[in-house]
Amino acid sequence: MRRRHAILAIALAAALAATACGGDGEERAESRTVKVAYLKFGTFDANDKLFKKVKPTFEQQNPGVTLELIPIEAPIDTEYHTKLSLMQRSESTAPDVLYEDSFRISSDVEAGYLRPLDDYLAKWQDWGQYFDAAKQAGRAQDGKTYGVLMGTDTRGLWYNKELLRKAGLPVPWQPGSWEDVLAAARQIKARVPGVIPFNIYSGKPMGEASSMQGFEMLLYGTGHKLYNHDTNRWVASSPGTTDSFRFIETVFKEGLAPKPQQALNPNFGTVVATDLLPKGKLAIALDGSWLPQSWLESSQKPWSEWSQVLGTAPMPTQQGQAPGRVSMSGGWTLAISAKSRNPDAAWKLIELALNQENSRYLDVIASQIAPRKDVAADPEYLKSNPTVKFWTDLVEVTNYRPTYGAYPKVSNEIQAGMEAVMTGQASPEEAARDLADSIRSIAGADQVEDAT
Amino acid sequence: MAVTSPRRAAAAVAANLTLAAVALAFLAPFTWMLLASVDEAATLKAALPERPTLDNFQQVLTRENLRAFGNGILLSAGAGLLTVLVATLAAYPLSRFNLRFGRPFLYTILFAAGLPITAIMVPVYGLFVQLDLVDSQLATMLFLATTGLPFGIWLTKNFMDGVPVSLEEAAWVDGASGMQALRRVVVPLMLPGAAVVFIFTFILAWGNFFVPFVLLLSPEKQPAAVTIYQFFSQYGQVTLGPLAAYSILYSLPVIALYLAVQRTLSGAFSFAGATKG
Amino acid sequence: MTAEALSGRAARSGRAARRGGVLRWLVPMSPAVLLLLLFFTGPILWCLWAAFTDIALTGAGASSPRLVGTENFSRLLSDPAFRQSVLITVWFVIGSAVIGQNCLGLLLALLLRGRSGLVRGVVGVVVVGAWVVPEIVAGFVWYAFLSDEGTLNVLLGRVGLEGTSWLYNLPVMSVIVANVWRGTAFSVLVYSAALSEVPTDLVDAAAVDGAGPLARLRYVVLPLIRRSVLTNLMLITLQTLAVFTLVFVMTGGGPGTRSQTMPIYMYQEAFKFFQLGYGTAVALVLLLLGALFSAVYVRALRPEV
Repeated sequence: MRRRHAILAIALAAALAATACGGDGEERAESRTVKVAYLKFGTFDANDKLFKKVKPTFEQQNPGVTLELIPIEAPIDTEYHTKLSLMQRSESTAPDVLYEDSFRISSDVEAGYLRPLDDYLAKWQDWGQYFDAAKQAGRAQDGKTYGVLMGTDTRGLWYNKELLRKAGLPVPWQPGSWEDVLAAARQIKARVPGVIPFNIYSGKPMGEASSMQGFEMLLYGTGHKLYNHDTNRWVASSPGTTDSFRFIETVFKEGLAPKPQQALNPNFGTVVATDLLPKGKLAIALDGSWLPQSWLESSQKPWSEWSQVLGTAPMPTQQGQAPGRVSMSGGWTLAISAKSRNPDAAWKLIELALNQENSRYLDVIASQIAPRKDVAADPEYLKSNPTVKFWTDLVEVTNYRPTYGAYPKVSNEIQAGMEAVMTGQASPEEAARDLADSIRSIAGADQVEDAT
Repeated sequence: MAVTSPRRAAAAVAANLTLAAVALAFLAPFTWMLLASVDEAATLKAALPERPTLDNFQQVLTRENLRAFGNGILLSAGAGLLTVLVATLAAYPLSRFNLRFGRPFLYTILFAAGLPITAIMVPVYGLFVQLDLVDSQLATMLFLATTGLPFGIWLTKNFMDGVPVSLEEAAWVDGASGMQALRRVVVPLMLPGAAVVFIFTFILAWGNFFVPFVLLLSPEKQPAAVTIYQFFSQYGQVTLGPLAAYSILYSLPVIALYLAVQRTLSGAFSFAGATKG
Repeated sequence: MTAEALSGRAARSGRAARRGGVLRWLVPMSPAVLLLLLFFTGPILWCLWAAFTDIALTGAGASSPRLVGTENFSRLLSDPAFRQSVLITVWFVIGSAVIGQNCLGLLLALLLRGRSGLVRGVVGVVVVGAWVVPEIVAGFVWYAFLSDEGTLNVLLGRVGLEGTSWLYNLPVMSVIVANVWRGTAFSVLVYSAALSEVPTDLVDAAAVDGAGPLARLRYVVLPLIRRSVLTNLMLITLQTLAVFTLVFVMTGGGPGTRSQTMPIYMYQEAFKFFQLGYGTAVALVLLLLGALFSAVYVRALRPEV
């Protein structure tokens, strides 16, 4: 009996050793393979389609090189990025080209994961086609560029034409200032009961949506920013932050926005897109260019009349001052890993995958906004969805978030401040003060300034 | 056995009624899920679908999803069997012999198992890279079995302690060796306990997203716990109808498993039966 | 058992251990030990180390992690949100594990004994179904049940009662109930298996002696399954301490931080920012909490000498 157990133990160890000894012949093949890792899941397989489309051409143009696709199926950005970071920690599993959120570039550069692309970009003619804001998106704090934007998104106002007409507002609706927006919401509240006049994402449950579609859409319309690129300092406090918090307080206090109970819920984005807007329960939504994705034929709950029922308008600046419109953008890029054994071939892939034709292909199938001027003018792109031109036109005034290391925590504090204000637990002044203190302690007092 | 006295019958009725109430209470929250699965326009509100349809199920029963289910069953059943086997072997000496390191060992492994998976997976991934085990379903299954070991050993030892040594001694007296006694006497009485450990490890592995997500690279090898996220979109929107349908299908293997072992779980045992050969 | 038999048993197992020597226990335990050594030891030691560093998956903490001593811990202890999360976690464990899952599990296991296969099947399927449904879906299920226009308020409305914003006004209660729903199956299984080892002869003998069902439970059954009660409590406590997705989907830890249990705190303050060092430090405190609970259980369930 004892012998049997010994044999079992040895067998187990042997099995382990056997699995461990697999795959050492791969070393040699590595340098002739270009590995591209990207996000893919269920409804979002645009990357997959793009790289599958590009693979034959790429291999033809680079004889002897194979393109290996590594789709990472992850639901949430954090999980994807976790896996990507793990892969990048060791040379044997690091991909050559990766699908990288522009937002994460700075911290990944600090971690030593990415390779600067400036040398390649200097020789790439297509680079001139990119909007300036789009170029900025791939830049890190050291001034070098690490990612080429594949597509982006913009934000603005969606409104229900029927409901606005019922309230006696002009359609098409073009608010010129915050006051115009508030006045419209008040009018809707008075004349169309039973409907939520206005939605702006706020509070911690909606996470980054509150920061980007909410607070920053307001702040960047006041003429102030979160980060001063000229002095390389965080702006801890400004009249803009107080005014933005005040706007939030107003819409929630006056009942122009959804009840906090309803709004403070991590699933509220789904509720807005699949319930409130299609069913005409929400009149004005400060939201993003990607909403139509929920209403397409291919989606869960197609809403074919969306383009007739909904109109779009840019979110105005606070007093309508130049440039008159405000938008925030995010976007994903293609980047090259610092540990790549084949950076030149990796760059060739990026060049190919993001040339005019492929960039347009991707933007159409992924409902993304074009970062390139030539694609933005391309009729194929423009006819893909009735509102695309509107959203693309916002790219020239759009802002990108400061992608620097402290941002995620700053964003967290912004959300906390919004929540305090919308539930009446803090006044706008108090919230602004708390935010300033937080930014100071997160970024360090010497990295921070105040604006007046 | 027995005397069906009126008191016994009344007790049975009371028990059945209570159980019915509990079952209904447990079922109530599922209302949303059941309704959403047959609703092509499901929202987060439980509502009777305008046009009940089985489309969601059809949408979910793709080849890729069935393969993911298969992967999950492979990983989970494999991990479950392995854990039961290894835990039983390990629990026997812990239960029967008064080992000095017994208690420290048990407590150490229990608390070691409590560390958060996000933190553990970083060094584990590093380990797997060094051993070149990344993207190996076998290695992932071994790892999942290992995650079930701490609780498995605890549970098994616990149930083993409940089987009186006198029964084994009877077998020894009959000439059986230690291991034979284990096999012939202890193991049959341990079946309910073993079933619990198997189900527990199976569910642990079946529902585990992060481990296969990190340790496996090829999408074809991913189990159902990972592919469930296909219903979530980049901007946080969820296709609820198919998700609900998927969840129902996802629960079926474990429910089938439970039905298969439930008989062993509620068998009562009496000394009279066990002391015979 | 007679005293002779008892001492004989002790002597025999002692002798047995000595007879085979080390191999007697080493060989059967070796597969477990091998697996645990291979897969767990390294990573756990790494985690213990990480709690004293500023290691992260991205940013400076990824390229050059440094030892920061007890900085993570002092940061923890000085954060009021952390202290609040410990308190909330304690309530969560007591409410949903110690009281909820444990007692309900025992009750169900007792009631299910001797019932017909149909009854056992139906109840079992529903209870186990709650356990096996993916945690994120369980979160949605309860969100849909407890939201303002959710199933519960609709049902209450039908019988003329007014519901409330459960998730907003009673967040901790809501997640406790949801966790009881989710995890009771485990206790039911453990207690069913434990009860199956209780010889019915003893219970019947007590009944014949005139003991009612509660007395039988208290004086015959419970003492016999005392060990299982202890094991069950410890295991479900550890499981409950680790619950994350369910609470996150239902309330996100809110409103504000009113239902922020330690795992959610861990996520919001550490893992969301890929800060492994800080997150692991929180995890170690979580384990400490688990150890404290276990010490309490062991004390409480010590046999009367």
